[in-house]
Amino acid sequence: MIDERMEEQAGLYVLGVLTPEETRTFEAVLQREAELQQLVAALRTTRDALAGLAPQVTPPPALKQRILAQIEAQEKVVSLPVRTERSERWTIWLPWALAACLTIVCGITVSQQKTLRQKVGDQAKQLAALNQVADSLRNETQGLQQAVATLQETNRLAGLRIAMLNSLLADAPKAVAVSLWDEKQQRGVFVVQNLKPLPVDKDYQLWVMDPKYPTPVSAGVFQVDAQGNVRLQFKADKLIASPDKFAVTEEPKGGRPTPTLKNLVLIGG
Amino acid sequence: MNEPVLDPERDVELLRRIAGQDRSAFASFYDRYSGLLFSIAVKVLNDPKEAEDVLQEVFMQIWNKADAYNPLLGRPASWAVTLTRNKAIDRIRAAQRRSKLLEQATVEANARPDDSPSANEMLHGRENAERIRSVVAALPPDQRRAIELAFFSGLTQDEIAKNLQEPLGTIKARIRRGMLKLREKLEGFA
Repeated sequence: MIDERMEEQAGLYVLGVLTPEETRTFEAVLQREAELQQLVAALRTTRDALAGLAPQVTPPPALKQRILAQIEAQEKVVSLPVRTERSERWTIWLPWALAACLTIVCGITVSQQKTLRQKVGDQAKQLAALNQVADSLRNETQGLQQAVATLQETNRLAGLRIAMLNSLLADAPKAVAVSLWDEKQQRGVFVVQNLKPLPVDKDYQLWVMDPKYPTPVSAGVFQVDAQGNVRLQFKADKLIASPDKFAVTEEPKGGRPTPTLKNLVLIGG
Repeated sequence: MNEPVLDPERDVELLRRIAGQDRSAFASFYDRYSGLLFSIAVKVLNDPKEAEDVLQEVFMQIWNKADAYNPLLGRPASWAVTLTRNKAIDRIRAAQRRSKLLEQATVEANARPDDSPSANEMLHGRENAERIRSVVAALPPDQRRAIELAFFSGLTQDEIAKNLQEPLGTIKARIRRGMLKLREKLEGFA
């Protein structure tokens, strides 16, 4: 039986005006109360009808293309072939090479956004503009591939997997990271830029997703500096056979055994 | 006039496919809900350009986190509406437009109901949209104002109470009564 206070909380919850602490408390109750879940679902539907009273405005057609182009650009994963020889000194210079790689990737992202934003003219010009963007992307991707190929030629990056992680944060859309994972040595290097610094009672936590395990594997916690940057070496809590994706969540200080998915801030693979 | 498109079961299937990185499913979901979500973002932000950015963030999140959708807590449309509203409000708060917002909220709260076509028409068709409008219009004005301020303005509970010059407990009770009344009137329909 749901009392009046809980009904009140449910109404405020679906309207998004509970404080963060009230929200956490309410969601804890919500998870275990089926009747409350039904009420919240019904109130959300009611709220949607209310939200739909907003005057009808159609988004510009170019926006859909912009979003699809962003999805296209997001999927940048570079896997390197396994080699039998490696240098044990790779961790000394690798962060710098990785940072250079990240700079290139950032440049590509910024360049893409700028280019795409300039191409939102009328429909007739749109196709030609997108073709130009596609050419540009191909060139830029070639640039990235050349950079990685150069690294390969040093015979030191064998057996490594590089992944770019993109931001899911509205207030830090430029946050970006690159993870480099050495499958044989079971350790990696992680470089982050433009992530917002956290309060002292929280940490960022790095996760490795391996299909072998039902849940992501923790790879430790970290903080960023005042500029939102950090470069660190990491190890996963379990043996990683095949890293599928890497992710970063915001967690309480010291991290958690499983990720808080609603606090996902970076992901990529 | 567009045909109504609301179809929760189909939407759940679309989200399942989106979670598997199916771009055609993503495009379908965009076509179904971009109008509603953009309308909400414009209503909250009062700025179409910023609303475009919000819509882009929302659909990128849908693409990246479709597997986070929990059917137990509402329909896919509800999930997308929540994402949109929250991102728009975050943007307002990040821009620290509090004082301006209070002025806008006051104006909005005192304004007459808008008679222009609503986003509901895209989802429910004109006749049903008109019914929703009439049900909401039938709410006592103090309840309707409190609910609209809560959802669209980004004000906190305390700020809503201050804005409407009522005790916080009164505002909470108004929102509760209004929401339950709307649920009753729109049950099995909205």
